[in-house]
Amino acid sequence: MSAPDSTTGTQAGHQPAARPRSGSGRYIGQRVPRKEDSRLLTGRGQFVDDITLPGMLHVAFARSPIARGRIVSIDTDVARDIAGVHAIYTQQDLAPFNVDLLSFYLVPPEVETTPLANGRVAYVGEPIALVIADSRPVAEDAASLIEVVFAEEDPVVTIDDARRGMPVHPGAEDNIAAQMGEEEIDEDLQAQLDGAPHLITHRVVHQRISQSPMETRGVVATRDGAEELTLYITCQSPHLVARWVSLALGLPQTAIRVIAKDVGGGFGLKNHPWMEETAVILAAQLFNRPLKWIEDRYENLIAANQAREQEMVLQIALDDEGKLIASHGDYSVNNGAYPQLSECNIAVHMFVWAAYKMPRYGFLTRGWYTNTVGYAAYRGPWAMESLIRETALDVAARRIGIDPIELRRRNLVTLQDQPTTSCMDIPLEDITPAECLEKLLQAFDVSAFRKEQEAGRLQGRHLGLGIATYVEPTGAAGAITTMTGELAQVRIEPTGKVTATMSTHSQGHGTATTMAQIFADRLGVAYEDVTVFEGDSSRGGFSPGAAGSRQGVIAGGAAIMAADLLATRVRQLAAHLLEAEVDAITVDDGMVHVEGAPDKSRSLAEIASTAYGEPDRLPPGFEAGLEAQYRYQPPPMTFSSAANACVVEVDIDTGFVKILRWISSEDCGTAINPSVVEGQIAGGLAQAIGMVLLEEVRFDARGNPLAATYKDYHLPAISDVPDFEFVHASTPSQSVGGMRGVGEGGAIIGAPALVNAIADALAPFGEVPVDLPLTPTKILGVIEGRDLRSKPDSDQHQFIAEHTAAGPQVEVPATAAGTADQTAAPADIRVDGDWNMVLSTPMGPQEMTGHFETDGQALSGYLSSPEGQMEFTGTVEGGNLKFDLKVQKPMKITLKYTLAVNGDKIAGKCKMGIFGSAKVSGTRA
Amino acid sequence: MKPAPFDYVAPATIDEACAVLAEAHGGAAVLAGGQTLMPLLNLRMSQPFILVDIGKIAELKGISRANGGTHVGPMTRQCDAIESKILAQDLPVLVQAIRHVGHHQTRNRGTVGGSITLGEPAAELPATAVALKATIEVRSIRGTRQIPAAEFYIGPYMNVLEEDELVTGIRFPEWSSGHITVFHELAQRPGDFALVGIVGALAVDSGRVARAGLAWFGMGPTPMRATAAEQMLLGQPLHEIDPQAVAESAIADTAPFDDQQASAEYRRTVGMRIFARTLREALRTREVA
Repeated sequence: MSAPDSTTGTQAGHQPAARPRSGSGRYIGQRVPRKEDSRLLTGRGQFVDDITLPGMLHVAFARSPIARGRIVSIDTDVARDIAGVHAIYTQQDLAPFNVDLLSFYLVPPEVETTPLANGRVAYVGEPIALVIADSRPVAEDAASLIEVVFAEEDPVVTIDDARRGMPVHPGAEDNIAAQMGEEEIDEDLQAQLDGAPHLITHRVVHQRISQSPMETRGVVATRDGAEELTLYITCQSPHLVARWVSLALGLPQTAIRVIAKDVGGGFGLKNHPWMEETAVILAAQLFNRPLKWIEDRYENLIAANQAREQEMVLQIALDDEGKLIASHGDYSVNNGAYPQLSECNIAVHMFVWAAYKMPRYGFLTRGWYTNTVGYAAYRGPWAMESLIRETALDVAARRIGIDPIELRRRNLVTLQDQPTTSCMDIPLEDITPAECLEKLLQAFDVSAFRKEQEAGRLQGRHLGLGIATYVEPTGAAGAITTMTGELAQVRIEPTGKVTATMSTHSQGHGTATTMAQIFADRLGVAYEDVTVFEGDSSRGGFSPGAAGSRQGVIAGGAAIMAADLLATRVRQLAAHLLEAEVDAITVDDGMVHVEGAPDKSRSLAEIASTAYGEPDRLPPGFEAGLEAQYRYQPPPMTFSSAANACVVEVDIDTGFVKILRWISSEDCGTAINPSVVEGQIAGGLAQAIGMVLLEEVRFDARGNPLAATYKDYHLPAISDVPDFEFVHASTPSQSVGGMRGVGEGGAIIGAPALVNAIADALAPFGEVPVDLPLTPTKILGVIEGRDLRSKPDSDQHQFIAEHTAAGPQVEVPATAAGTADQTAAPADIRVDGDWNMVLSTPMGPQEMTGHFETDGQALSGYLSSPEGQMEFTGTVEGGNLKFDLKVQKPMKITLKYTLAVNGDKIAGKCKMGIFGSAKVSGTRA
Repeated sequence: MKPAPFDYVAPATIDEACAVLAEAHGGAAVLAGGQTLMPLLNLRMSQPFILVDIGKIAELKGISRANGGTHVGPMTRQCDAIESKILAQDLPVLVQAIRHVGHHQTRNRGTVGGSITLGEPAAELPATAVALKATIEVRSIRGTRQIPAAEFYIGPYMNVLEEDELVTGIRFPEWSSGHITVFHELAQRPGDFALVGIVGALAVDSGRVARAGLAWFGMGPTPMRATAAEQMLLGQPLHEIDPQAVAESAIADTAPFDDQQASAEYRRTVGMRIFARTLREALRTREVA
């Protein structure tokens, strides 16, 4: 633990692990009532649509009705004449701002993404024009009168289309948005798979999901003079939005304040602004009036970024005892046209076997562009790893004839096995999935269930038990630009009340409560006397907010550290004022006591009043006031673990699934407030139920969304969600306070637990293809051994095949091809000099400058990027360059570059250890 | 609210409402409970020039007995219909069907006439009206018409109403006391439209089926009357009914479709199954009684 990097006093040598003597320990771990609830439950929450500013106008968008085409013309004349319409903007009007959207990593996405359609449309719902009017209805009237002429082209809709169809983005070689891993399975790995006693090949198809926050996207933007821009925007972190807007809009001189007091759920959709929000922010600057845009549910279901839509094949080799030998995964994810990040979900492969003793794993992972709305995160974005692994293990158990619990016991990494590293080099020190499983089995009598199941089957009742285990990296900090530590600022006011400002942000999950519990506990004051402010970028400091299951872990640690710094100051001051030893001072329930001298007790308010108002009475060198702040940098990753059991009954006449029981056994370390923890898990499990049984964003062959209202997009309702039972394992983590993240776990482990339960119930009928959602139609198909599904849309495939065969519909520059595969000696091979290059890394494209000098076959030079400059030596032959670079971050790996120079272009690959290969491309500087 | 512009009137009488409808020449939409119309207005899928709110017309509300049948005013809220003593006695299956319409909250505003007039093919009440041989009473400035429910629907959300006509009542014929009720709905979540639904009644005289009324919902472009099954049941002694055989003939009168929630083949397969199961249970309940 490093020394506090930011304090208000002189607390050098402070030991975070040691508990100060102040504090009663009566709030951390308690189910205190949430501070937010009375406000939220009585309609006094403040969401974006509650904001009304003087002079505010309203925005509506004209959107693309087609999935793909060139915009021939936009005629806004008739629309502009509607009474109450103030302005209509297209990308042409916004172009002078020169804004290209940024990813979560604050770099431009691989594909240039403009706020409004830039000459082409690439998905149904893409915003083309922005209307400013007196009211939303008038804005919509006008939007419907904007005439757009398109030269329509045939869209690429599914992952399968993307593999074979025309590139979504003109000028691209193919539809690959991102790719890692090896295109061909390593020979040794293949031999291990082929030679194993048991080889399970398991395929999972995950449908596309709408994050469906209760509060849709929305923004109120107002420019106050040249220097200030205020945004009310529903988001996951006001600080991240402020930073994103400053960078994306190039406004270093502008003070940007982002306010989001209450948020009705984010789930990954609201990490940062996207097209519509950016267009509104720019329009507010252009028109110089406050503007409001509130996304309606129709817009949310067709035009807000979406998630999942993945296909994966996992091969697992096992021996006769069920021990894992080797595995290979091939994964694809639909990125849509403009993903918030060109994504191939490397985390799926990083964590697929992290909790298991898997000796060897290889993979290929790809993201594909299609003419659909872009990809964004959704609670547990890499959740496919648990879904496919846990369902494949159950298939393996049935195939080999081993109990699925026993199969897991034989392969899970237990506490005794640690420290160790996973097959993907993830260091493991304290994961507890095996321990969570044993705790779960204490709460659930498996053998009694099996008897009930057997008896039920004789009577035509089909019960099933699903078990799943998982681990999850939470509270990650330090490896990615935006995933920083968290800041806590706390003061004891002159009144004795405690006020804190935090970098946390509640999406409805109660950080103002949990953080207040920590402050009350560590400072020795009543919970009622603590107020936590968040949700405003002018308060606290930078953090990505509600992202990556981090706030309990990191902000919790920051709150503890800041509170302890402050508590120490209180005791120093009290010891001085009360003429006692510091060690004799305790603070409890707002009263300061001296051990053995009850007559010396004083209220904290009295001490605080002195601290602020009577500088002469303070100890020498004691800074006036009672304030402290701490930015906590946690360990790089903190693992949470869990095991779940789910019991279902499947009606074999109808294919309906009824969930009878669900037990969650999780280890989130210190649970600050078990009710909040359980709320987080339950919400995630409910979303998992939706993913397995109900929800689906579908498109027809022309890319038209088929679920545009909640009549067709089925979210789980209260009647679909059972009363979950909870078991808490609570192994403290190594982060300050011992918390582990719990924000996403339910949405990750819920799906495999439920799928396994259904598969177990239907085992007598055969394996259940994991093609989500498992609708009654699909389940009845398994029971009856025939395909009951609608006839596949054969038109679509035929259509795409015809059109791709017929030749390009869009111009593809003839020079587009130019990869390292072209190893034939090029004519122009001037290597020496500077090159601008882009490396497609798992964290988005990374720009760098390469400097090469050749001396015969010897190569030397450096690569320079914002992270620094690294020198290398290597070899050169013809135009082919080879060199290695050792890097420390995010992990210790050796980057092996193989590049080829062709004229003023350079292209090739970078092998990145276990991450596989990434594309490199560039031009002469 | 962010619909396209419209005028709004709230007439106090049926005659006034009919006059407005006649003047509007098809540009009007009738607002009853608004549980479908209001979202459609906001989505701009419905863009009437004038909204005729019939909520203030007293004569369109209420449930009464008349001419040996039961009259239901179209503006009767679903929540009130559920509480009706008359319906509980005369038409228990209608009450059962209304309990499956939407949710508590939507039933507080939604009306019986609104649901029946709209004609969502997977909804409970249009099929119930068809099964129970209801008559839809409509009026315009040109006069009145009595339309058998079975002839009222011509497609999804499409009926035979002329643009100037207003539904003024739903008249259910008498179903003898002690008739057998048939109702089953398979929906993914409570409150959803049906994947498959069956509703009906069998009047019994001297141990034989004296009248049969059965209809499917969610099994075609309109409520689908199970005519062949009705014919097959007529005159049959209750203890000789073969539910499976009746179900097989009933399925012939369906035209199910593929949609996001279920395939046509699923609907056919499960429809036949739940028809047989529901009829069997209804007959068994009768025996016990």
